[in-house]
Parts: sequence; C-alpha cells; structure tokens
Amino acid sequence: MAVSLQERFELLGCIQCGRCTAGCPVALRTYLNIRKVVYEGLTGTGPKDAKGRPEAWNCTTCSNCTDRCPKGVKPMELLIGLRSAAIEKGKALPTVRDALESTFKHGNPWGRGREKRMEWADELDVPVVAEGETAPLLFYVGCTPAYDPRAQEVAKTLVKILAAAGVDYSTLGTAEACCGNEIKRLGEEGLFELLVEGNRELFADRGAELIVTSSPHCMNTFKNEYGELGSDVVHYSQFLAKLLKDGSLKLTTAVDKTVTYHDPCFLGKHNDIYDEPREVIERVPGVTFIELDRSRERALCCEGGGGRMWVEAVEERGERVAEIRVRDAVALGADYLVTACPFCLMTLEDAVKTSGNEGKIEIIDLAELVVMAL
Amino acid sequence: MNIVVCVKQVPETAEADLKLASDKKGIEREGLPLQINESDNYALEQALLLTEEHDGDVTIVTLGPDSSDEVLRMSMAKGAAEAARIGDDAFDRSDAVAVAGALAAVLKDMEYDLVLAGCMSSDDGHTQVGVALAEALGIPHATYVVEMEMSDGEITVGRELEGGLIEKLQMKLPCVLGIQTGINEPRYASIMGIAKASKREIAMKSAGDLGLDAEGVGEKGSKTRVVEVAYPPVGDGAEILGGTPPEASGKLAEVLREKGFV
Repeated sequence: MAVSLQERFELLGCIQCGRCTAGCPVALRTYLNIRKVVYEGLTGTGPKDAKGRPEAWNCTTCSNCTDRCPKGVKPMELLIGLRSAAIEKGKALPTVRDALESTFKHGNPWGRGREKRMEWADELDVPVVAEGETAPLLFYVGCTPAYDPRAQEVAKTLVKILAAAGVDYSTLGTAEACCGNEIKRLGEEGLFELLVEGNRELFADRGAELIVTSSPHCMNTFKNEYGELGSDVVHYSQFLAKLLKDGSLKLTTAVDKTVTYHDPCFLGKHNDIYDEPREVIERVPGVTFIELDRSRERALCCEGGGGRMWVEAVEERGERVAEIRVRDAVALGADYLVTACPFCLMTLEDAVKTSGNEGKIEIIDLAELVVMAL
Repeated sequence: MNIVVCVKQVPETAEADLKLASDKKGIEREGLPLQINESDNYALEQALLLTEEHDGDVTIVTLGPDSSDEVLRMSMAKGAAEAARIGDDAFDRSDAVAVAGALAAVLKDMEYDLVLAGCMSSDDGHTQVGVALAEALGIPHATYVVEMEMSDGEITVGRELEGGLIEKLQMKLPCVLGIQTGINEPRYASIMGIAKASKREIAMKSAGDLGLDAEGVGEKGSKTRVVEVAYPPVGDGAEILGGTPPEASGKLAEVLREKGFV
C-alpha cells in the first residue's frame, strides 16, 4: 500500500498554528492555503496530487512556510510531493510538460537547441573547456542567462567583470546542461536524478574545483542536493565580494544612484547569503544604499521560483507579488532595485511595466551595478 | 475498444542548423534530438483517452531504427499496453506507400476497433501513410481529424478543412483516422515511467516475420524515390535585420514607416 502523505511528509507534528499561511507570498494572490493543504494531508481527506489540487502549482518554493514552522514540518516539500504525484500520472500542466520535455531533449527548460547555448557569447572572448582539458574554476552560466535575452546581459556582464579582475576561468560551452533545481521543484524527480548524474560526471571530467554560478537556483542545488560533488560551489555575488576584498577587482567609477536590494529566495532564505551582495553594493563608489522594509529573512518572494517561470498562477485573484515589491522600492525612492538572480530580474522587470512604474525605477542585476563602476 | 496507434520517431529541427546529408537524399540527422512526431503524439493521447473512457488497450506500432524504441517506451509509460517495431534494414528508404504496406502486414494479425495515426510527419510531410494503410487494410479513413465522438459501432469525426470549416463524417469501425494536432492536450511521460517501461517487451518484426519478400519492400517496394534534396534558391527582396532585439525592432519600425505601412 502506498505510504500516506501524513507518513511521507511527517505531518503529525502540525499544530495548525497558521504561521505557514501567514508567511506564504502567494496566499493572498491565489487560492493556495498551505495550512489547509497540510491539514488535509494530515487527516487524509484532501487530494493526493496536484491534478486534484491545482493550486499546488502556485507554490514558489520560497521556503517561508518551512523556515517559519515552529514544529519543523516541511509544508513546501508536501506541495512538491503533490506535484510529483501528478507528474507520475502524466498530469503536468502543458507549460510544465513542455519545460520538462525540453530539459530532457535539449538540456534546458526554454525549448531552445543545445547548440545555441553559447550564442550569448558570440561577440565575446569566452573560454570554453573542451573534453580532455581541465578547468579548476568553472563559470556555470545556467539556462536562463544562456538563452533569455534579458538575462543574457547578466552573463555578458559577468564575463566582463571576470576579465577585468584577471580571473582565469572557463565555461562548459554547449556541453553545459540544466542544473535541475527547478525540475526537482516541479516534481520531476527522475529527470532531476538524470541531470545530477550527467552534471556530476561533467564537472569531474573537467576537473572543476570551484564552480561559480550566475543563478542562486543552480548554486542551491549543486551545493545542497548533489551529494559529494568534489567541487566548491559559490554564487557570483560571493565570488565578487571576495574579489573586491582581496583587491583583484577595483571599482573606481562613481555611480551616483540610490540603490535598494531584493534578496532572491534561493540566495537568502535557502542559503543564508545576505551579507555578500550588500558588501558588493556598498563597495560601489557613489552609491546610496537603502534597505527595503521586508529584507533579508523577511524578503518578499518575486514569484519566479519553484518552476513558476513555467506556470502562470492557477486561479489568480490578487496582483503579482513582484508588483508589490516594485511599488515598495519606488516608494523608497530608489533609482535602482538591484537583485542577483535571473528569475527575480525578469519577474521584477515585468512588474515595473505591468504596475505602470516605467521610468520611475530600473531593475538591474548586481553584476550590472558592478560593471558601471569599473 | 482496442486501438492501434502508428507512430514515427523524427528529428527535432526547430532550432537546428540543418545540413544536407552527403548523399543529398535527406538531411544530416547526426546530433539532432529525436522525438515522437508531433501529430502522432496527439494520436497516442486520443487513443489513451478513448480507452480510458471505453476500456480496451492501446498498441503502438512503428517502423524505424533502434532509436525508435525510445518513442515506444515513452508511449508505454503513458499507458500503451503493447508495442511493436518493424526494425529491418530491408525497409530503408521506404516511401509512404511502402511504409503503409509494412504497417498493414503487422496489423493483419491484430484485432482492433480503430487505427489512429498522426495526420502528417514533420520530416517527410507526405500525409499519405494513414490513407495508404486504410487502403491496404480495406477499411475507411479520414484525415485531419480534430473532433470525434463514439457511439455503438460508429464514430463521428470532424475534419479540419480550409477556411475554418469542419466536415463531419459518420464512419463505421474499424477505420483509420489521421489525427491533427490540437485535438487534445498530450500528457507527460515521466522519466521514472519511461525507465519502468524500458523493462517491457517490444515485439520486433522483420520482413520475414511479416511474410514479406525482402526484395519487395523498402526502396524496391516504393512507388516514389527521392532523387535529391536541395535548398530552395535564394530569391530577391528579403532583408534580414540583424543586431540585438531592441536594435532589430528599431530597424523594423523604420522600414515599416518608410514603406508607409504604419
């Protein structure tokens, strides 16, 4: 007999205090009521998969519910489990299905060809480590910075900064494949395992000692979900903070702007990396840095994680969370809302347009702020 | 209700820089990702939906090289009960009619109420296999099917015609239907499901197994033969706007203004 949701996700600890729902960024915007999902899982009264409970697709896996649960219950894992059960029955949302099939076929969820993976670097001199060669320092670009026109600017900017700091690095070129962070959170565990196997082999073959990722999502899964990887993994904000501290990277041009920072969930809440991005910002000459009220552990999710880049909110009822975030930043008087994640960059930039704040604020990536100061 | 679905594995070419094969009889397939032909995927889904509603089994049949087993396993992961593959070099370079002849040879020993196929393959684009198969089996057929409704021993189908017209046909079973994309929303085959399906048996068929003379199938059994595949000649009057997306859209706006379109 199949293990019940209650046993599998250890739901008996739940005391229905409601802290999960109170901290859920999509609770007001959609009909996802995580406290109810946990209760019905506990009592065995609710649907057993995301087909019967489509609001489970709304979770951004920001991890607020799990982090705030006083009893150590993991509601976020339950939602991913409900997605998994739907996936096993073939009942993925069409957009999720397409992203998963693309990842299996092309190694990226964007439906783009593998041979186009390095097009972002066409005009640039970006080193690629070939089979049989080794690259102790690997810059793992990631699918979104490799293919999305807006996020490509971040990849281009990062290689400019690495060159300016005289860093000897390499990329995997078109051999690079999806990290699987979003795939796992969409509930496709089998495909995730396949990616882990392929990537572990690739990193070992190329002799990677340190992997620097452009996305916090890739860093998260490499660091926390790949087992013994044999390579250290850092997000580029950590790497830039180190380069600035040891003097290999020097910022000399003043950027006379008021700047605030949006903590990406997979950098902050999932990995406790709050200080390094702020250190980088504060080393940019001329910048006036102000904090958003909801920052660090209390940061509001942009709604781009947990596979939500491929899921439009199911039965939405409120405004996009990213729009609230943009309004907060505008009210603060910031010229730039800086972030350090390709998904945050895209969702926040869209929200500037949809909330009618074009011309009032710019969404830029941390790397783009740094490059202004070179 | 038992349904046979004819499927084909094709290269995905949407993002590929296509090259001609050295013999100029086709494209270079090396390195291209392979997948189930798009409309065949809808045919498979339609069969699964029908058997879920009316009971019965789905059997998948294909003609192709070893790699085609991936398509069969994916189909079994989605719910197909059995799979057969005509895998014999003798069938190389078969045209649509020869493929239909081979499929008919497999189907003659099966019991089925309905045969579904995609309406068109994305590589050769003949749109003939389903029709030729129906002729070979001596049963009715319909193509570009976008709607269907079952009733006792009969099926009513809607065929997509030009200009948004739908032709309704009432047909006797068994028949062959060429399924158009969009008739349903194909399900996902999980990697775990495909791995489980890889342990299932695929019935392999050679020309001999099917009682066919190897000299009368493949290119020799075909009514048509590919002479050469070539790129269309480059014409005049087209301009490719280069640059970044903002640059290219700026140039496009300029052109549209210049030509008086806006």
